[in-house]
Amino acid sequence: MDVQQAADDLRRRSLSEFPRPLDRLIYLASMRDYNTGLYYHDGLASRFSQEVACEAMADCHREAFRQLVGCSLEDLVAQMEGYMASTHTSPADFLTAWKGLEPYRVAVPVESDPLSAQFLFSSFKIALVILESRLNQRSGEPDA
Amino acid sequence: MIQLISFLLIGALLLVSLYSFMRREQRAEGGSGALIEARQALNTLQAGLLPPELVGRIFARGDLEYVEAKTSKEIRELFLEERKKIALSWVSRVRKQVLSLRRFHLRSARFYAQLSVRTEVALAVDFAALLLECRALQVFMYVRGPYAVPRMVGSTAATATRVCKISEQSLAFLTPAYAGRMGNRAARS
Repeated sequence: MDVQQAADDLRRRSLSEFPRPLDRLIYLASMRDYNTGLYYHDGLASRFSQEVACEAMADCHREAFRQLVGCSLEDLVAQMEGYMASTHTSPADFLTAWKGLEPYRVAVPVESDPLSAQFLFSSFKIALVILESRLNQRSGEPDA
Repeated sequence: MIQLISFLLIGALLLVSLYSFMRREQRAEGGSGALIEARQALNTLQAGLLPPELVGRIFARGDLEYVEAKTSKEIRELFLEERKKIALSWVSRVRKQVLSLRRFHLRSARFYAQLSVRTEVALAVDFAALLLECRALQVFMYVRGPYAVPRMVGSTAATATRVCKISEQSLAFLTPAYAGRMGNRAARS
């Protein structure tokens, strides 16, 4: 029950600032300690407890992952475009970094279904190529 | 002399009993392993591979139409190649888990589940059809791509869901606590 309340609190306060599932996925992944896999959120932990906050964030992370897997390719491309614009990085630098580093691979929740994760990574790969080709078209270069 | 023969006979009987007892123990351990493997296969199928939302997304024609309408030939080729990989991976995972469930039904299910002969026959037919469909899907998708046989994808998912429902009944007694006890027993031995 506490976890459910904490998850609702998180959705209402922090996650409401991120309208896109992609942004929520990246945000929640960034709140996770790479060494322990535990999530940290001081505000949420002070209102509930560290354990409850961690569990609630894991729930919301899984939810964002499910929502993103359920998006069409067109929607994913639009979300990536929106996310790219929100980072205030140059699109060319952003696309180079995302294609090279593939940061989305570490952004999925632990114990995600392997096929769903594989499907999402594949969709990210295609979406990046589509965005890159659009960028090239705008700058007058040939398609990727 | 008669006493010696009696003792030898009793000793031999004891040895035979001990040997058959050990064989039974080994069978029971194998059985618990098969049960846990079947439960895992069932979970993977029901939660990971057969949810209609995921199957619908993998084989969504809308994505293909979007790519065909909005992108270049190279991107279309990349898209089809990527979706083919995912589609083949899906079929191969479904087939692997179905084989695992079939192993359970062939070897162990009768010891634990009270399935009628009719249900067992229907299940055997479903397993055979499912494995055949998976092989056919693999061939079609490999040759003609992920969107070649949408109806066959639907019917494979439907048959697999039916097989899962029957298997679920056979494994209904295997609660998490019971599975944990069996797992511990198998780990100890």
